[in-house]
Amino acid sequence: MNFYSLFASGGFGLNLDLFETNIINLSVVIFGLYKFLPNFLGGILKRRRDAILVDLKDAEERLSEASKAFEDAQKELAAAEQKADQIRSDCKLRAEAIRLESEKRTVEEMARIKQGAASDLNAEAARVSSQLRREAARMAIEKALERLPDKLDEKTKANFVTQSIKNMGDS
Amino acid sequence: MGTLPFIFPFAELEVGQHLYWQVGSLRLHGQVFMTSWIVIGALLTLVVVGTRKMDRDPRGVQNLLEFLWDYIRDLARTQIGEKAYRDWMPFIGTLFLFIFVSNWGGALVPWRLIKLPSGELGAPTADINTTVALALLVSLSYFYAGLSRKGLRYFEYYVHPTPIMLPFKIVEDFTKPLSLSFRLFGNILADELVVAVLVFLVPLVLPIPVMFLGLFTSAIQALIFATLAAYYIGEAVEEHH
Repeated sequence: MNFYSLFASGGFGLNLDLFETNIINLSVVIFGLYKFLPNFLGGILKRRRDAILVDLKDAEERLSEASKAFEDAQKELAAAEQKADQIRSDCKLRAEAIRLESEKRTVEEMARIKQGAASDLNAEAARVSSQLRREAARMAIEKALERLPDKLDEKTKANFVTQSIKNMGDS
Repeated sequence: MGTLPFIFPFAELEVGQHLYWQVGSLRLHGQVFMTSWIVIGALLTLVVVGTRKMDRDPRGVQNLLEFLWDYIRDLARTQIGEKAYRDWMPFIGTLFLFIFVSNWGGALVPWRLIKLPSGELGAPTADINTTVALALLVSLSYFYAGLSRKGLRYFEYYVHPTPIMLPFKIVEDFTKPLSLSFRLFGNILADELVVAVLVFLVPLVLPIPVMFLGLFTSAIQALIFATLAAYYIGEAVEEHH
């Protein structure tokens, strides 16, 4: 667009005509924007900034919470490890004690079993020898009873009876 | 472009007057370059100032820039899709910010205080060359996006639902940059013209609502351009299977 005034002057320069430059209307429009835009845009920007700040604060809070939880968990881990070590060493001690105890008990048991076996053997031997003795005595009596009728005549019989009676009378 | 004279009985109002810079055999529209550089400079300053001292809690310019970043990311992500939007976010964001600041700069900065030998300063996007350049960049981008992501399978897109679509899709490749550039150029130029004509007819008060409307449409146009660019790129990288 070109206004006739420009042809007259030519070259670069300033045009200070109030109406040709439309400066009055422009200043009104710019003033209107200046009044209106900061409220509109400023409101949007402020809301955006507030939202971001809230987000940041949330994130920071979550970070601090998470790091606190992490620390707690680490502490718990350390405590648990310590406890595990303790339990492990306790277990070792107890295992050692149980092993010693059971060894001792085994040895004792073996000794007891050995002794028991020995005494059983003695008792059996005693029983067998007494049985043998009794058997021998029985057989001797049987043999004696077999041979008794041949050797026993009237006189000896009478002697034996009187002897027995005498024994009875003495007693 | 040629001259389109608007002749009024009591005043002369012309489009197509340019401050020509001769570079070799090219005649450049100098006023567009100047305002573009100013826009680029303003954007770079804003970004450098906003990111120089970055804080964890965003305040001031940093907050504004982060807000814009969020906005552009949402735009790119909805149009291009989760997979590829990261590659194209800078491009979409540059388009959006450049067009937006150009449009608003053209409408808000009192450029007419500065007299040029010929033509006048204004929004760079009110010149068809700027918008065509931007639209062709978008075309190149979506071709590159499709080809780099899918290789030659990109051309399956042309026969995608049925081969009958082939001519339409080919025509689309030409109409896309055309519609992009003309929509932006037409809207911004029309806005400037309407304001200029109204200022001629009724110098005070009446142009003000039209100027506000112009600010609104300018912002919408920037959004439309960026959204469509992102949509075209998204269409090119989309997987059909």
